[in-house]
Amino acid sequence: MNSDYINIALADDDEDDRLFFTEAFDELKLKSKVLLFKDGIELMEYLNDGDNTLPSLLFLDLNMPKKSGLECLKDIKATERLREMVIAIYSTSASEEDIENTFVKGANVYIKKPNDFEKLKKVLSEVVTTNWQYQTSGLNKDNFLLRL
Amino acid sequence: MPTPSSRYLRTAFIVGLFVILCIGGFTYKHISELSQTSKVVKDNYSLRSELELIISNLKDAEIGHRGFLLTHDSLFLNPYEESLQKVTSNLHKLDTLIVSNGEQVEKLKELKEDIKKRFNNFDKSFSLAKDDTILTQDLLFLLHEGEIRMDRIRADITAMLDLEQRLLTHNQEINEKKIGLTPLLFYGLLIVTLVILLLAYFKMSKDLKALKENNIELEIFEKLTKQSEIVSNTSTWVWYIEDNEFEFSDNLYRLVGEEPQSFEPTLENFYKYVHEEDINHLGQQVNMMMREEELPFTTYRVVHKDGTIRHLKAYSKMMDDTEGDKKMFGVTIDVTNELENYRIIEQRNQELERTNKELSAFNYVASHDLQEPLRKIQTFMSRLEAKEKDHISESGQLYIQRMKSASARMRMLIEDLLQYSRTNTSEKEYLRTNMNMLLEHAKTELLDSIEEKQATIICDDLPTMDVISFQIQQLFINIISNSLKYSREGVPPIIEITHQEVLSKDVEEIKDSLYKFHHKITFKDNGIGFEQTYADKIFLLFNRLHGKSEYSGTGIGLAICKKIVENHKGVILAESMPNAGASFIIYLPFLK
Amino acid sequence: MKLLLKFDFTKVCNTILKQKLEAHQFNYQQTAFGEIELMAKVSEEQLKRFHDDINDFGIEIIEDPKKIVIQKIKDVIVDMVFNERDVNVKTSVYLAEQLEENYNYLSNLFSEVTYTSIENFIILQKIEYTKILLTNEELSLTEIAFKLDYSSVAHLSKQFKNTTGITPSAFQRIIAKRKQIN
Repeated sequence: MNSDYINIALADDDEDDRLFFTEAFDELKLKSKVLLFKDGIELMEYLNDGDNTLPSLLFLDLNMPKKSGLECLKDIKATERLREMVIAIYSTSASEEDIENTFVKGANVYIKKPNDFEKLKKVLSEVVTTNWQYQTSGLNKDNFLLRL
Repeated sequence: MPTPSSRYLRTAFIVGLFVILCIGGFTYKHISELSQTSKVVKDNYSLRSELELIISNLKDAEIGHRGFLLTHDSLFLNPYEESLQKVTSNLHKLDTLIVSNGEQVEKLKELKEDIKKRFNNFDKSFSLAKDDTILTQDLLFLLHEGEIRMDRIRADITAMLDLEQRLLTHNQEINEKKIGLTPLLFYGLLIVTLVILLLAYFKMSKDLKALKENNIELEIFEKLTKQSEIVSNTSTWVWYIEDNEFEFSDNLYRLVGEEPQSFEPTLENFYKYVHEEDINHLGQQVNMMMREEELPFTTYRVVHKDGTIRHLKAYSKMMDDTEGDKKMFGVTIDVTNELENYRIIEQRNQELERTNKELSAFNYVASHDLQEPLRKIQTFMSRLEAKEKDHISESGQLYIQRMKSASARMRMLIEDLLQYSRTNTSEKEYLRTNMNMLLEHAKTELLDSIEEKQATIICDDLPTMDVISFQIQQLFINIISNSLKYSREGVPPIIEITHQEVLSKDVEEIKDSLYKFHHKITFKDNGIGFEQTYADKIFLLFNRLHGKSEYSGTGIGLAICKKIVENHKGVILAESMPNAGASFIIYLPFLK
Repeated sequence: MKLLLKFDFTKVCNTILKQKLEAHQFNYQQTAFGEIELMAKVSEEQLKRFHDDINDFGIEIIEDPKKIVIQKIKDVIVDMVFNERDVNVKTSVYLAEQLEENYNYLSNLFSEVTYTSIENFIILQKIEYTKILLTNEELSLTEIAFKLDYSSVAHLSKQFKNTTGITPSAFQRIIAKRKQIN
């Protein structure tokens, strides 16, 4: 049965980026539900509420007011219930060291926000399909590292 | 601890004293023995004379006796009586003279007996003679007996004299033996003493000479110390723990702004100059010093009479001298200038660090934050191009293309700038890394363009070094991509990477380096090259030798290389000729 | 009063299934016990409703036949990569042989369901296996390239980088650091 939607969440304080993100998923025609959060606090409130369905794929912007993506990543990895979520860092830019650091801290994907809408679509679809491979093919999720 | 010399002197003195005492003892013994001997000789002579006197007295008595017998004149009895008394006194004297000799005493007894018998004989004959005037048979017999008695007495005396003579000779022999050795012994001992004294004298004079030299050295040293104390703003002091007395060097007085030795060197007097805020702390430290017998480095301020404040630093350590007296040797230094200099340097450093940080932060924030809007502009443009293409005129589409390439260039600039600022700010963690591995990574990164240009990279075995691996990898990427970019049209690029270890002093550019050895890594290509005059310029930020349309680039790549090499305390150089390829030479220091 | 009952499980199941299939107006043919072939195309929505309905009786649709095929393809590939099967023929031929199906059909089916090609999936599996060898066996990349039949280390290295976006050594470093933290 391939009827289930993938639950995807994005936490990004930038309105335009949220727009690009939703539009990209719309155009990709993936069976997905996209949840949007304006900052880290809002995201964590949602995740920590036991009644809410957890997204299987979470996109995190690093630069957010109130609570940064890195802080969210740390909190998520420290919470048993949230640990299994696949985390994709979705950021403007970072040094090689910073990227390695986020991987070490438990991120699975690092996406440098592309400057072209088509590229964005390609990148997002790649993340989703790779994620799907990991979910369905019994691959070791500890080895899920993807940089785009 | 006693010096060898003083120990030697002490030994010599003790030996000399002992020898003199010995000589004294011997002398005394010999003299007393000598006097003993002379007494014995004297006694011997008086004994002889007494014995002889006895005989003569007996003879006198006999003469008196005979005269009486012949004459019956009582006149002859007087000398007889007299000699009788004399003999008795002689015998008394003999008693005292021979007490010490047993054999002689026995003989004296016999003599006394014989003399007694003789006198008995006299008495008998007298009583016979008184009755008769004529010589009777009895009398004749008595006279005859008296004659025999007399002979015996003589024999006794002769025996005694003989014995005495023997004793005398024996004594004399012993004495001669003893006295004969004495001068030799004295002489020998004197010689020994003399030798010891001479040795002691030489030793002492030698020591004295050395002492004198030492004294001169000490004097020079003291003067030098005083000079150096003045020049270097230091001072010394000694605390005699046993007596609780201090001794301050001249300069310590100067350090508190006073004339040398102008006040009694006591703690109380010194405390008068200590800054009131520091006096408690210093007091505690000094108390601790008295307990622990060591003063760790202590800094405090002193106030001169004219109000000048100086910073002093003191340190002291306990030392035992040879006599076992405990002393603390202390050093006090004026560190005001050093502190002031340090403070200035610190301040400058902080300022510099702050400006550096601000600059880097500005650089980073500017380039990082500039990316956000730029990225949106580009994304919106791509949306416009895709969704609204049909509504835009041809010239409008051209404008969009121009905008796209302009923003792409801006993006490249921003990214390079960001990377440049990151080479400053990133954590400088030097780890032992195999450079071959970093080069492999660099090649992997550049795999696409290497394949596209059909480039060949030939590489020596590179060393393992302490480096910031991210940066060195970036350095390799930048240099190789530079070579790939400026390759000659239609000629596949060949990049040769060579390595060798060099002595710093052999290379002009690094001969003043603090490191003895450098790794020399050369990247040689067969590209278009450049005029040697531009060799320094190419490493400057935003410097480009070619027009933008010819070769894309921002002029930051090689500036980043320079920065990275400098971060590793190295030097980067470029050598080239137009159309003859370029060489990039990197010198990185290392320790063997 | 107590009654003792005896069930014919096969008949019970088949009867219920038959009733339900008819209730949902499916045109079907029973091929074996527990295997039904639908003769006409049904929508996902219809299938879901049917699924929910029979679920109450403890009956479950095990798999969509397409998914079975996909799963078989995956199994063959995973077995081929992870068990280091010595395959002398082309992978496409090997897959067609193993599944007794036309490769084009398999390829299209795979892309349709999984959004990726079989080729991509093979690469992914190879890279996954490389990851395991890198971290668990601590083999060098050269040894792995040889083991997985790559023409060169550079080729494997490049494929690794293209697939994951990071170099093999960076991957190794990250996993090592993660282990250190935990």
